Amino acid sequence: MKEKLNIYGLKLIGFLVAILSIFPLIWMAMAGFKKESEVLSYPFKFFPSEWILTNYIELLQNPAFMRSIGLTLFVAVVATTLIIFINSMAAYVFARLEFPTKNFWWLYVIMTLFIPSMAILIPSYIVVAKLHMLNTIYVLIIPGIASAMNVFLIRQFYLNIPTELEDAAFIDGANRFKIYWYIFLPLSVPVFVLVGITAFLGYWNSLIWPIMTISDERLYQIMQLLAYFRSDQGNDWAMIMAGSTIAAIPVIVLFLIFQRHLIEGIKISGIK
Amino acid sequence: MKKLSAINRSDKKTAFLMLLPLIGLLTAFVIIPLFYAVFVSFYKWNFYQENIFIGFENYKRVLSDPLFYKAMWTGLKFAAIVIPIQFVLAFLFANLIRTLGGKFGGFVKTSIYIPHVISGVVASIIFLFIYDFDGGLANFIIQSLGLEKVAWLADVKFALASISVPAIWLGFGLTTLVMLAGLNDIPKTYYEAAVIDGANAWHKMIYITIPLLKNIFLYLLVVGVTGAIQQFDLPYLMTGGGPLNETMTPNLFIFTHFTKDPYMGYTVSSALLLFVILAVISAVIFKLFNSKKMDS
Repeated sequence: MKEKLNIYGLKLIGFLVAILSIFPLIWMAMAGFKKESEVLSYPFKFFPSEWILTNYIELLQNPAFMRSIGLTLFVAVVATTLIIFINSMAAYVFARLEFPTKNFWWLYVIMTLFIPSMAILIPSYIVVAKLHMLNTIYVLIIPGIASAMNVFLIRQFYLNIPTELEDAAFIDGANRFKIYWYIFLPLSVPVFVLVGITAFLGYWNSLIWPIMTISDERLYQIMQLLAYFRSDQGNDWAMIMAGSTIAAIPVIVLFLIFQRHLIEGIKISGIK
Repeated sequence: MKKLSAINRSDKKTAFLMLLPLIGLLTAFVIIPLFYAVFVSFYKWNFYQENIFIGFENYKRVLSDPLFYKAMWTGLKFAAIVIPIQFVLAFLFANLIRTLGGKFGGFVKTSIYIPHVISGVVASIIFLFIYDFDGGLANFIIQSLGLEKVAWLADVKFALASISVPAIWLGFGLTTLVMLAGLNDIPKTYYEAAVIDGANAWHKMIYITIPLLKNIFLYLLVVGVTGAIQQFDLPYLMTGGGPLNETMTPNLFIFTHFTKDPYMGYTVSSALLLFVILAVISAVIFKLFNSKKMDS
């Protein structure tokens, strides 16, 4: 009997923590449905007394907001694709190919893991400025593509793939790139989901780099737009909360689709 | 079959071709900026004029700037608030989740993970709303407890703690799930053997769970502490570093300087010094974990 009570107690705590975790997000979405006069009024109400769609509709019809969402989506998708391709290709080389100076290049790549992005933020800005990349879509995509962490993760994954498959392909006369393309890529889905989602989130949520490198408002990234929107709109909280909700929906949906892989991925990333 | 992976010329060519994009990008956007940072830090440098070599002058200026120390201290304080709370909560909760199975356990895991995918910007906006002086939820709760309203983000006593709450919220779920993954890797037989030897729950925690999670704690601690010190989004949006620079984290300090000062040398020097400080902190954490005390 006591045991049973204990289990119900633990379940209750688990439930409360789960609700507490998502409460701020639900509350944000609710605020978007409230009238401006109600959003910060006492007494505090969870549900809107009258459900208003105008905030959301206005934003969905706002060209600047929607262009920013679309552009950020484009940047994140292109960058994620390139991140997966370029880093996995290098990971394959480090996992399977032998060549002189391999150790040097491995160290060269891994060393960059220990450089915090802040240490090179300003000089990176100078580099992209000198390359005339400021206020272009390239500055948003390209500097973040190469990632030692991703090379490392994917290589770990590749080291666990048995070599038998490749041996058969070699006998059939396949070259290294073909083996990467036809054998390794299809096997990589679990690690690509992990790397890809992390990359997508990083691009979708990035703030400091777009703020530094983009001043052309047609290229505003969504978090940048939201941050400026917050300071411009001041106290139109219902609208700001609606905007934040729309900006958060893509990543939440993405997460819900891939959550099983991500929670599995915590094990793949081999922290131990 | 081993012969196939032996060194041969076509391997070498393929290897370099396939590495080229990565090496090129890393060189252009990480290695060159790093060396360039060191270079710029010794110059009076801006975009429009000839650069003047000034030796260690930039470093001297940074190291004699009380605001730099204040920012570093703020970063450390922020980490000292966020990480211990996050750790204890995550550890307790990971142990709790382990007892929950099935759909319900899945629901709890999903719910606590969701904040991790949310950006610092969205989190800041939500918490700005919660901390609103007149109509925010925080003051609503405070008042229903019969207390005075608090200016959460404008009062020097509360500002840093107030921006720590969203940081804990954002990081709690992932920390918990990483710990849970570690807990699930501990073989059940260890606990069964301990029970036969007469161990209680406390003994099991102290002698089995915590020592076996050592590497996970180490990883989470290094990533958590260095990440917290480098927090940018939350103070940038919620306080702008105020009140009285109380929430001016190192990254926000560097960014603010960058936007105000056309000469990059000072800003770059402070970023490099931050890099050194973070490296020292990581090394100290490693050292502490590998000391004898933790091994027993």
